[in-house]
Amino acid sequence: MNKRGSYYRYLNRFGWFCVAPAMVLYGLFMAYPILSSLYYVTRKWKGMTNTFIGLGNFTRMVQDKIFQLSLAHNFVFMFIQIPVMIFFALILAVILNQGIKRLRGAFRVIFFLPCVTSLVAYSVLFRILLQSNGLLNNIMINAHLIADPIGWLNDPFWAKVTIILALTWRWTGYNMVFFLVGLQSIDTEIYEAAEVDGASKARQFFRITLPLLLPVILFSAVTSTNGTMQLFDEPNILTNQGGPANGTLTAALYIYRQAFVFNSDFGYATALSYIIVLISGVFAFVQMRLLGGRDK
Amino acid sequence: MSVVRKWSISRLLIWLVLIAGGIVSLFPFFWMVIGTTLNPNDVVQGIIVPGKELKLNWAKAIKNYDLFLFFVNSLKIALLTVVFGVIVNALAAFGFEKYKSKGRDKIFGLLLLTLIIPQIAVVIPMFKLFSFFHMLNTHSAIILPSVMSVFIIFFLRQNFKMFPTEIMEAARVDGTSELGIFTRIVAPSMKASFASASIYMFIAQWNAYLWPLMTILTDTKKTLPIAMSSMMNAYTIEYGALMIIVCISILPVLLLFLTMQKQFVAGLLGSVK
Repeated sequence: MNKRGSYYRYLNRFGWFCVAPAMVLYGLFMAYPILSSLYYVTRKWKGMTNTFIGLGNFTRMVQDKIFQLSLAHNFVFMFIQIPVMIFFALILAVILNQGIKRLRGAFRVIFFLPCVTSLVAYSVLFRILLQSNGLLNNIMINAHLIADPIGWLNDPFWAKVTIILALTWRWTGYNMVFFLVGLQSIDTEIYEAAEVDGASKARQFFRITLPLLLPVILFSAVTSTNGTMQLFDEPNILTNQGGPANGTLTAALYIYRQAFVFNSDFGYATALSYIIVLISGVFAFVQMRLLGGRDK
Repeated sequence: MSVVRKWSISRLLIWLVLIAGGIVSLFPFFWMVIGTTLNPNDVVQGIIVPGKELKLNWAKAIKNYDLFLFFVNSLKIALLTVVFGVIVNALAAFGFEKYKSKGRDKIFGLLLLTLIIPQIAVVIPMFKLFSFFHMLNTHSAIILPSVMSVFIIFFLRQNFKMFPTEIMEAARVDGTSELGIFTRIVAPSMKASFASASIYMFIAQWNAYLWPLMTILTDTKKTLPIAMSSMMNAYTIEYGALMIIVCISILPVLLLFLTMQKQFVAGLLGSVK
């Protein structure tokens, strides 16, 4: 009995030995930053020195119009780009699953390819393609679709469109792969039965495919939401540091600016990042409720 | 008659969508390759006929921008992250899954809870931490924080679940040590999962931008994404050379994807399992 107990203690010790390296790294690069941020968030930096200001960073935030603007941009990208992307991804997935028999594998690879590019690399590419005198404008002018070049990068409105286009280009195929896996798990007998009952293709899509695919769509929406909340690379490179005139400034970019570019106030930047955590937390909570309801 | 016609119209529409989508997907890749052969002015104007300046652009990318150094930096950082990352995370996943205890289960729950915390919220205190240890502007500063990944631990733990515990018991009876069970019996049968985890970690680190942007200060330490982004912010941009660097930065991930599609997608789908 005693021998057995010591054997279990030995196994338990080995368990701790296994997780120890990961725990040390977690402590240093996750737990410590989170805990120390509680200290930073109450302070204000001026040059190299900092002073205690309590909740001052949060009251400053309430009056910070630029931060509110940047947060609004995150929501604009989220509410326009994600539905557009999911719509396209769904169409492509359904076509690849049911519409064609040949070249299915080839098209899957082609549509997936954009998401292997690094965020920086594709932002650089798009920034060149979308110059005022760049390729896209030239093509559209020559095709008489537009008379004057569109300011894809110089006009605050069009710059937002640019970010949305770029995000959609990169992520549609990625989400399509998820949808394809979801579609392939749907039993074909259901469709055969619907066919026998005389249900049209459109009816089959709305009554069978869409409801069965909903958990996967939801999952995509939530991961994309998280990504959009943290949007940084694209507005920093593609539209040149959140430009034009802060037209594509996002919250993450503004936090980076506060911490490293302007007067370097780590306290205020930390306070701003709390808002992002809060919003992400709310979305994650909603996700768990929506996804969790399905399993029970 | 009408049935045949309806069928062919929907078929035509399907192919139109596929071809249009295919062109949109592939065009930037095609144009990126063309761009490496053009002079800077033609790159900006988006000429789509190959030019004659490939050699000149290549020479500029190597001489003016130290392409090789950036490539080696990126590769070194990504590979070291993968090697350490697979060992540390696989061991942790193994410990959490096969040596269950209440304490470790609670810790695992805590790990999952912090999965939602975005990077931007962690990097500022982390910056102060590395600056305190005078480790800013080192490659260790980029590698160390990326080694442990809660997502990878979670992914590998899901895969360890499928490994039968009876085999481990049998090995114990044969007198194999616990570490031996992991290195000689469990790990070899998990190669596919390790491959997926490696690919995922490699790509994440190869493409990393925000954290390296904060920590790298000198040219010689730059990775490819940082090099590209600082080239874009320069007063005069050598577009031809830039296109070569863009190509080179995409190439390894592209090759990984084309040769290991199955593991590649498995890594992505790991999160939905």
